[in-house]
Amino acid sequence: MVPSSDLVHLHLLLNHFPTVGMIVGFGVFLLALVNKSVDLKRGALAVMFAIALLSLPTYMTGYSAQKALRGVAGVSQGVVNLHQRSALMALIFMEATGVAAWYGLWHSRRRAASGSRNTAVVLLLGALTIGLMSSAADVGGEIRHPEILSSPEAVAATEGLFAPHVLGSDFITKYQYSHPWAWKTLETIHFMGLCLLFGVVLVGNLRLLGWMRTAPLEGFYRLLPWGVWGFVANSITGMLFFIGQAFQYIDNPAFHWKMLCILLAGADVLYLTWHDEVWDLGPGDSAPATVKVLAASQIVLWIGVIYFGRMLPYIGDAF
Amino acid sequence: MPVLEWIQNLPLSTSIAESDSIWWGYAWWLFVHALGMGLTAGVGFIVCLRLLGVGRQIPLSSLGVLFRLLWVGFYLNLLSGTLLFMTDATGIARVWELYAKLGCLGLALVLMTRLRRFVESGRGDEMIPPTITKMAYACIVLWLAVITSGRLIAYAVEANGAKL
Repeated sequence: MVPSSDLVHLHLLLNHFPTVGMIVGFGVFLLALVNKSVDLKRGALAVMFAIALLSLPTYMTGYSAQKALRGVAGVSQGVVNLHQRSALMALIFMEATGVAAWYGLWHSRRRAASGSRNTAVVLLLGALTIGLMSSAADVGGEIRHPEILSSPEAVAATEGLFAPHVLGSDFITKYQYSHPWAWKTLETIHFMGLCLLFGVVLVGNLRLLGWMRTAPLEGFYRLLPWGVWGFVANSITGMLFFIGQAFQYIDNPAFHWKMLCILLAGADVLYLTWHDEVWDLGPGDSAPATVKVLAASQIVLWIGVIYFGRMLPYIGDAF
Repeated sequence: MPVLEWIQNLPLSTSIAESDSIWWGYAWWLFVHALGMGLTAGVGFIVCLRLLGVGRQIPLSSLGVLFRLLWVGFYLNLLSGTLLFMTDATGIARVWELYAKLGCLGLALVLMTRLRRFVESGRGDEMIPPTITKMAYACIVLWLAVITSGRLIAYAVEANGAKL
């Protein structure tokens, strides 16, 4: 288990990445559009996808920081809660940008350049994400730096616009308790997403490992968005479980392992989407050894995700 | 029912139900069941999606191996599902969700067998008849129903237990 104090440090370390990383990725994306550089554009999309992945532990470790700050003199729980809500709002847009960036990468392999519609979506979501992330970071800074505390009017404006109450952990927890069907529905969708995602992961990676060798990789490439939608379904439902009961998860070793497996598998997905030579394999072609290692690791990592997900109530105490 | 009580009180059933081991106890078999579900329904989804036109570059004939994987998942779940049932036979046998799940599963497997026969017949994409397309859609719905009813079994057993 990762000690709570380390998770607080991790939050303090990671919390700059979403804002700064997104500004860098977005800036490079704009530069690529001006210079009409396909390679630069792909690089910018990869950065945005990676930052979207990294934003998940950034948000989650925030609850460890919140726990550590309970009862500390000079810390307003109201500002902490405002930071949580604005961070969740920013995270939603960040993940949407990550999905759009992944689609851009996926399209760019199929065509010389990613579609103009995708470019417009990435631009819009990216700009909104930078604004929301900056706002969340600003409120986060005010938790321990009262000297930069905004005026009450400014805080109220932030609440209404960028941090609606429906995104508050307490609201989500109460909603789940008062609507028993909510948890059942989320779990069912989580299992459906698991099957879809695992099916795509298994079939695509088994081809890379030498199964179904008569099939070109192009066909499996077309299946990838279905796996991504499975992942999106599970990210949304999984985050709702987490937010509803965050303090059951943050110190749970099974949860730490599960998140590690997801992040490593996400890095694998980025590598496999990025590298053209993987997808140019035709019928009968064998993948390079490094790709086979990555393919095997993808399968093992997703089995790990299922294992640690199932062990949440048994290794730790989350239900 | 005496036979259900007898099953539940077998040394194998009680040893799994009472084991705290995360490797071979109740939790382990829950994991195996989730993995088997991912294999069976996951591969089922992919085969159906391919028959519906997603990833047309994959020759239908190469899908044969996936049906073997599907059956591996099924046998994993037959084993883990039976063991999980044995740990609380009297509780689980009482909920209708179990029978809904088994009914949908049986139907899904019958349709998957028909799809396998078509895939192994050597016909190409241009020869996919509308009945096969309809079966692929039906299979997707049935797998979703199997997952849903399977998930609801746990809640129904818990609710019944609370009522007693």
